[in-house]
Amino acid sequence: MDELELLKKDWKKDDTLKYPKLSYNEIYTMILKKSSSIVKWIFIISILEFVFWTFIAFAFKGSKSLKEFEKFDSDFVIIPLTIAGYIVLAYFFYLFYRNYRNISVTDNAKVLMENILKTRRTVRQYVAFNLVYLVIATFAGIYIQFDQNPAVINRAEMASANGEAFMFYAKLFLMTSAVLLIIIGILLLFYWLIYGILLKRLNRNYKELRKLEV
Amino acid sequence: MNKELEHSFVELLEEHQNIVHKVCRLYTNNQDAHNDLFQEITIQLWKAYPKFRGDSKFSTWMYRVGLNTAITLYRKSKRIINTYDIESFQFKIKAEEYDDTEEQQLKLLYQAVHQLNDIEKALVFLYLEDKDYREISETLGISEVNARVKMNRVKTKLKTILNP
Repeated sequence: MDELELLKKDWKKDDTLKYPKLSYNEIYTMILKKSSSIVKWIFIISILEFVFWTFIAFAFKGSKSLKEFEKFDSDFVIIPLTIAGYIVLAYFFYLFYRNYRNISVTDNAKVLMENILKTRRTVRQYVAFNLVYLVIATFAGIYIQFDQNPAVINRAEMASANGEAFMFYAKLFLMTSAVLLIIIGILLLFYWLIYGILLKRLNRNYKELRKLEV
Repeated sequence: MNKELEHSFVELLEEHQNIVHKVCRLYTNNQDAHNDLFQEITIQLWKAYPKFRGDSKFSTWMYRVGLNTAITLYRKSKRIINTYDIESFQFKIKAEEYDDTEEQQLKLLYQAVHQLNDIEKALVFLYLEDKDYREISETLGISEVNARVKMNRVKTKLKTILNP
């Protein structure tokens, strides 16, 4: 006899004996409890990410160094960057919310997984945007310093008078890059850990379904 | 949500609860995990219930939500220690039902099914529930042909696990 047929025979036998019969009240208590599904976790973490980056932006705007910075003629950089930041935030938040609303447990397994991954992808793209934004803003800031900050201009001139211009710029570039890389590295590690754990099973199952379609 | 909706839902689920138990049986391997998954499926069913239009049978609708929860949404609760005690959990009732060989064979079969991956388990589950390939393909979101191919592979895989 086919193995699965034997299993089916047993599977169909006396359900009532095999499983505990939950009463009306026991089931009723269950529907009052809170879900702990991954969708809920993804929602919470995604919101926290949006809050985190918005907070960073505000913290930066109120900071002393930016106040200092405003003395220079930097509107041509700061205004477009700020506007771009808000537009992109609004756009990604709208996408995230729309994707999140599309997640439905009554879709088929593949569509459900795709919708969850799509929601995640939106937030990931937002974070990637922020990292790129961070790099551009840093280098734009440095450019303005060199263009307008007398102290910095002075140091650059001194370096070039001593014939150390190359070393001076190379050092500055390397140090800035190193700091940026460390910040990005920490964020990516954090990311990899959280989503690696949270989405491991989903990714594995999605891959398994996708494999069938090839 | 109004009381009437709650009442009709709980009554329906009470009547069809075995479907949820069966999903839990395949996807968990101890009583705590079983209860935990049952709880999560119940919540997901309840959350989706206002949109249940009755154009499919309640039980058919439950298969989809139940499997989706088990495969995709469910996160193992931390308090659950992953022990592999399916023997004591799932076979205690059958003590005198079968002769030794068949009982032994079933025991091995259930153990083998537990070794399958989540998607393979879903195929086995739907197969055991007598679902045709059209319904299997619609539930998982794969084509009918692929559902058939995959089912055959699962059968072969089970054979290999049983007769290494």
